[in-house]
Amino acid sequence: MRRQNPYTWAGLGLLVAGCLTSIPAYFIFGSVWLTALGLCMLILAVILLALGRAVPRLPPEVCSLLLETGIENIAALIEELGIKTRAIYLPSSPTCLYPRAFIPLHANGSRPEITRALPKRLIARYGSNPEDIGLLVNTIGSAAAGMIEARPGATPEHLESALTSLLSGRLGVADGTRVICFNNHIRVEIDRPRLENGSTWSHQCLGGPLATLVASVAAEAWQKPMTISKEERVNGKHTVELEVGS
Amino acid sequence: MSLYNRYILTVSLALLLSTVLMIAAGLDRLQVYFTIYVFEALVISELYVYFNRKARRALAYVSALLFGCFSIALFLQIFNILT
Repeated sequence: MRRQNPYTWAGLGLLVAGCLTSIPAYFIFGSVWLTALGLCMLILAVILLALGRAVPRLPPEVCSLLLETGIENIAALIEELGIKTRAIYLPSSPTCLYPRAFIPLHANGSRPEITRALPKRLIARYGSNPEDIGLLVNTIGSAAAGMIEARPGATPEHLESALTSLLSGRLGVADGTRVICFNNHIRVEIDRPRLENGSTWSHQCLGGPLATLVASVAAEAWQKPMTISKEERVNGKHTVELEVGS
Repeated sequence: MSLYNRYILTVSLALLLSTVLMIAAGLDRLQVYFTIYVFEALVISELYVYFNRKARRALAYVSALLFGCFSIALFLQIFNILT
């Protein structure tokens, strides 16, 4: 027998209970309220059975393993190279179909200007000088941005809707989001996040998992490079501040 | 709590609370109970717009089924009135 998820089992249980309650209540006892209670169970059963087919089948533990492995590999690479510069989240381009994070290897305090689409390689050159080189890596945000059904518009409302849909509806890692735009900054407040933020070297460079998700989606929405300028967690609310590049 | 669990909890609470209220009000017509249930389920499903595409499609089928049942109940009621 195929492995069913808890929603399907609960749905089947309620379906049987609903039939056993409503049919005798209506045809034998003639009790309206008991029949109504049975109908309640049947409606819930249909909803649960429908949702049982839609919820992800992969157990959360497997997802966690994949996530941790990916993060640790990128962290090891960044730490070995001793990179301290902040990553620039780039939108998708004709050469790369999903947003990626670019980490300049040499930075003299200023953010490098990336004017052309970078090649789809790990080590990518963005300028004509020998030191204009960096790492182009995939983050959690790269894959997650692909889960959004349509590219959000460059407005706070569209970004908020896309992020809530992704973080709350698809991934289930937060309860909701709020987006505020000011000057060339975007402030995203994430309600009750369920992803822990590490404090390793790579997090200083790339940002936490939630920040990478937010930055990738925002880069895709604005079609401009984004940098995580601030990230903090206060009173169960995770705040990510992004700087919009030119 | 995941969005799916929150949705199921909301629908369950709404249906059970309305059942208790309707029993307390002394309603004895099954059509009224059913109409209220269908209305609640449809409204709550519409409010949860952040589900993924697969879940939304599955809930759209449920909504269509509930609406179909409601239409049949309504048709029978009209038929009874007319005959």
